[in-house]
Amino acid sequence: MKKLLSLLLVLVMILTACSDGETQAPQTPETPETPGSAEEQPEGTDGGKYAEEQVYKYTYAEEITTLNYLINTTWVDMSVAANLIDALAQYDKYGILQPALAESWKVSEDGLEWTFNLRKGVMWVDYEGNEIAETTAHDFVSSAKYILTKANESESANLVYSVIKNAEEYFNEEITDFSQVGVRAEDDYTLVYTLKKPVPYFESMLTYVSFFPVYGPFLEEMGDQFGTANSTLLYNGAYLLTEFEPQMQRLLTKNEAYWDKDNIFVKELNYKYNKEASALGGELFKRGEVSHAIIPPANLDEWMTNPELKDKVSPDRLGTYTFFYAFNFKPNFDAEYEPDNWKIAVNNSNFRKSIMSSFNRVASMATEDPYNPEFRIINTITPPNFASQDGLDFTDTGNLAKLNDVNFFNEDEAKAYKEKAVEELTAAGATFPVKILMPYNTNSSYWANEAQVVKQQLETLLGTDYIQITLLPHAPTGFLDGTRRAGNYSLMKVNWGPDYADPQTYTDPFERDGNYNFPEYTTDVNADGKNLYDVYEAMINEAKAEVIDLSKRYQLFADAEAMLIDNAFVVPYNVSGGDGYVASMVLPFERPYAPFGIATMTWKGAKILADPISMEEFEAAQEEWQAERNEALKEASN
Amino acid sequence: MTSKKIISKMSDNIDPSLFEFADCDESKSELIGYSNYSFWRSTIQVFIKNKAAVALLILIACVVLFTLIQPYLPNQKSPTQIYINPETNMQYRNVQPNEEFWFGSNSIGQDLWARIWSGTRTSLLIGVAVGLFEAVVGITVGALWGYVRKLDAIITEIYNVWDNIPSTVVLIILTYIMKPSIPTIIFAMCMTGWLQMARFVRNLIIIIRDREYNLASRCLGTPTSRIITKNLLPYLVSVIMLRMALAIPLAIGSEVFLSYIGMGLPVDIPSLGNLINEGRALMMDPNQRYQLFFPAAVISVVTISFYVIGNVFADSADPRNHV
Amino acid sequence: MKYYAIRLLRSFLTLIIVVTIVFLLMRLMPIEGYFTNYDKLDEVQIEAKLENLGLLNPWYIQLKDFYGSLMKRDLGQSITYRPKVDITKILGDKLITSLRFGLVSLTISLVMGLSLGILMARYKGKFWDKFGTCYIVGANAIPAVIFYLLIQVYLTDLFKLPLLYDRTDAKSWILPILCLSLVNIAYYAMWIRRYMVDELNKDYVRLAKAKGLKNKDIMLKHVMRNAFVPMAQYLPASILYTVSGSIYVESLFSIPGTGGLLVTAIQRQDNTLVQALVLLYSSIGIVGLMLGDILMAAFDPRIRLSHEGGSR
Repeated sequence: MKKLLSLLLVLVMILTACSDGETQAPQTPETPETPGSAEEQPEGTDGGKYAEEQVYKYTYAEEITTLNYLINTTWVDMSVAANLIDALAQYDKYGILQPALAESWKVSEDGLEWTFNLRKGVMWVDYEGNEIAETTAHDFVSSAKYILTKANESESANLVYSVIKNAEEYFNEEITDFSQVGVRAEDDYTLVYTLKKPVPYFESMLTYVSFFPVYGPFLEEMGDQFGTANSTLLYNGAYLLTEFEPQMQRLLTKNEAYWDKDNIFVKELNYKYNKEASALGGELFKRGEVSHAIIPPANLDEWMTNPELKDKVSPDRLGTYTFFYAFNFKPNFDAEYEPDNWKIAVNNSNFRKSIMSSFNRVASMATEDPYNPEFRIINTITPPNFASQDGLDFTDTGNLAKLNDVNFFNEDEAKAYKEKAVEELTAAGATFPVKILMPYNTNSSYWANEAQVVKQQLETLLGTDYIQITLLPHAPTGFLDGTRRAGNYSLMKVNWGPDYADPQTYTDPFERDGNYNFPEYTTDVNADGKNLYDVYEAMINEAKAEVIDLSKRYQLFADAEAMLIDNAFVVPYNVSGGDGYVASMVLPFERPYAPFGIATMTWKGAKILADPISMEEFEAAQEEWQAERNEALKEASN
Repeated sequence: MTSKKIISKMSDNIDPSLFEFADCDESKSELIGYSNYSFWRSTIQVFIKNKAAVALLILIACVVLFTLIQPYLPNQKSPTQIYINPETNMQYRNVQPNEEFWFGSNSIGQDLWARIWSGTRTSLLIGVAVGLFEAVVGITVGALWGYVRKLDAIITEIYNVWDNIPSTVVLIILTYIMKPSIPTIIFAMCMTGWLQMARFVRNLIIIIRDREYNLASRCLGTPTSRIITKNLLPYLVSVIMLRMALAIPLAIGSEVFLSYIGMGLPVDIPSLGNLINEGRALMMDPNQRYQLFFPAAVISVVTISFYVIGNVFADSADPRNHV
Repeated sequence: MKYYAIRLLRSFLTLIIVVTIVFLLMRLMPIEGYFTNYDKLDEVQIEAKLENLGLLNPWYIQLKDFYGSLMKRDLGQSITYRPKVDITKILGDKLITSLRFGLVSLTISLVMGLSLGILMARYKGKFWDKFGTCYIVGANAIPAVIFYLLIQVYLTDLFKLPLLYDRTDAKSWILPILCLSLVNIAYYAMWIRRYMVDELNKDYVRLAKAKGLKNKDIMLKHVMRNAFVPMAQYLPASILYTVSGSIYVESLFSIPGTGGLLVTAIQRQDNTLVQALVLLYSSIGIVGLMLGDILMAAFDPRIRLSHEGGSR
């Protein structure tokens, strides 16, 4: 017994000695103060509104896979790259494009040639801040060549070759001479892109990783190790990645050689990895160890009912992914769910409208956001604040404007549509109840909850003699191929994110031969007897062809989208909410805003606050921002 | 009657009438001495002496019984039904325990009382199915593995192959091919569960297989099955009993783990694993802790009962403790 | 000796079988999982990447390529977890971190667990036994996933310890190791008690007592050695498996180890990483099993792995 005890004592001593001996302090300067002190602040902090120490600390749960911004297009990867590399143009906080690496640009008469005059003196530096070379027009040619080389497996290649002349041919290896591709450097500071056809939204694409520059000689030197560590990357953006240990931490420090460094106020971005960030984030925030924490909906009650914590929670700003429930026109599932019967039912307008009117979106949204479920619900497929012409937001254009105040949920109308549908469908030979197959991804417990709520809600309102919804839990493995893309669903929540800032992007899911809900298979006709999809297709083709008069273009797209919604091809649902609810010391409206892409992940012009934002502050700030944005948009279009 | 006479011979002064001839029954000489000792009966007798174990046994029996009869009691709610508040037309989110919802409700308005009993049913079903399979297959394979040297090579390698294929891969592929559901999980857990039991039994058998009494049995020509069932396994009864008793809590623990990594049952089928993981996120909120407390309490009761019962039973299975 | 040599040879074969099976199983996974932005990619891009990864070749060609590079000691590069990074680079530090934590925790668990178990057996039915039973039952009653979180949140508050692991801060080691050890102590205590109680009822113990040996000597020199034999089989494997880390503890405390790496790699369909890990873990498992047998035979000379005695 004694021997064992003494052995244990020895072990404990060894243990403490061991761990002390290996303090290999990383180069991180340990941040002395935690943000959020409420005493009087010295100058530079705007009278105490901003924190003295402009350091951002965050615990993240998902690690980036690679720093090679030319290959990956995941949100997580891009959100880091956006801070390290600059693009030709960037969005400001109102979502208006401003010159960045390009000081000015012009487009030719026929809309095919874009010429950019680059800023001089922008240096590429390495992760320690040593200057390597100057950023020139050749860097854009190098990046395009890399992306368009099939062997490099770039996921953003299709964005480039969808607009640049000869790019697709080069990618498919039909031509091997890169000088034939529509990107060339006339001299060190002049860059010319030649497009396949006029593209009104080309400028917005420039902000995306697919058009980022890369220093050619360095890229060649690194080969396939480019972007695997912070030392295998060159920087010309606002921050340098001074430390990067995957699954542990990363540290971004302000790039003192940045051309716009006066507008960067946050000196350090300090990220620590923790797989359980959703469980621990709130706790860390309470202890003052992080500047920003996501509050998962499950914990929201705790924060909102506690008077001390209530004022520290605010919503994150809205994102750009939209979600909608799609009706499938090409059912392809097991006979037990009666695909043929579904095919008859779904092609009946009244049937679809009956479901759309009985869908209580507020109730199902409450599973994710119990405190303000209406905040994220939208009535369109394209979200608000995405695109606007002449100061008019797209969702206020054309026939979409009247949808803004409509509430689809209407019990009486639902019953009326149901009666008509029953009549018409029995005549068409359908059997009741109509079986509805609704898959969901088991990796999201919120989706699982929402699916259950939707199912019970629709069935209770319309009656199980009318419809019978079967939930299909599907593993995340092969989810899309197993459900949506295969047509293995009747009604399903799907989502779409924009690829560029033009309403055309939100028509991509509904194109012929797409893999969303196959609307081209519909047999439903309008009052004039024309097939609804043919009408829709004609409308968007007309809109796409309109590249000169952008107001008209937007109006045509708006009318097309309104047609889809009026005929209940989809039930619009909500727009993504960024991080959901957060406890944060950063006001999102101070950061750059972009309707798509990564501007919202950058820090130009933003500062860390001294105190967390509360709901009221957020709402006030949002209204202010919206008004200022509308003003700025009007000015910019003049 | 005291006599003061000196007795020199045993037969002096003893009245012959005090004696009678005893009957002699020839048939009695055929009787063989036997005792009505029964191993299991003595085990149970010793077991019953431990009050704590008996109490827990009754408790767990009640729990199991209750999960089975609960749906048939009056006023019971369905575990998947979402309850809407008629005034607000919204779900009864996160209601604390009251008369309507005895254990409260969860974040989408489902009754936690019903969910917990349904979940316990499901988890116990999985636990018992996996435990039984483990016991039967595991002990059989383990005994053969340990005893029959000719099979040692092949079973060792089968064990090595089977054990080292990550169960996650198997599980992902199974849920991809079959839908995620209870039979899928039972199948996947059975596939991997019996290995540990087999190895356990094999280790124990290796220790005793070469002892003299086994050598003697072999010399006498006893078939393998009899040696295993009469010589080896009875020796190991206590440890095997302990291991079997733990199989069910361990199966429930595996299920919790699978839910943690996202490979468990889908959320619309309540199970203790799902309930625990959901409740875990709410641990720090004093108003919502009940969502964690109830499933954790049920798991604790089950685990504690099986552990104590297992240990006490193993203690009492030792013949040297028997009366 | 011959027995072990043959067994080692068999083990190589088994290793190859395991790795091949996992290799083939991974290729049953849907191609969707190799991409992060599958929906937005064109067919051409999908084909291009799959071809680069060699996934469009027939399975025997893929196998041949894999074993070919393995012969050259090349474990390959990760595909989706950290693309283009050498696997040895990814694994190196992680293995060492997990190993360190694991070994420290294992030592503590063994020492304390065995001590507790011995005390429980010695004083069966009295205080130590009851206390030990309460501890064992308590440690197992609440699912680990919960009480690790409880420990992390409440004990850090109470004792002012750091919430997350930090390489430079020695105090941040305490809670993770505590979490890792708690359950293992209960495990070892329970089983050694079981084995010792069984041993204590044997005749030779009665003889030893009759001969007047001190209890301490009986326990430690005679009973312990016999009781420990079944547990010895698991010891080498436990030691070696410490490199695989604990998924719960490492996730909660931000420890950059290998816990959960295999699960993540499988979910992300990173074939090369999965194969490398399976290769590593299988080797450990196979070698551990064999070493366990050797250790068991060392403890108890009556065990003969190769000579036939009473067994078939």
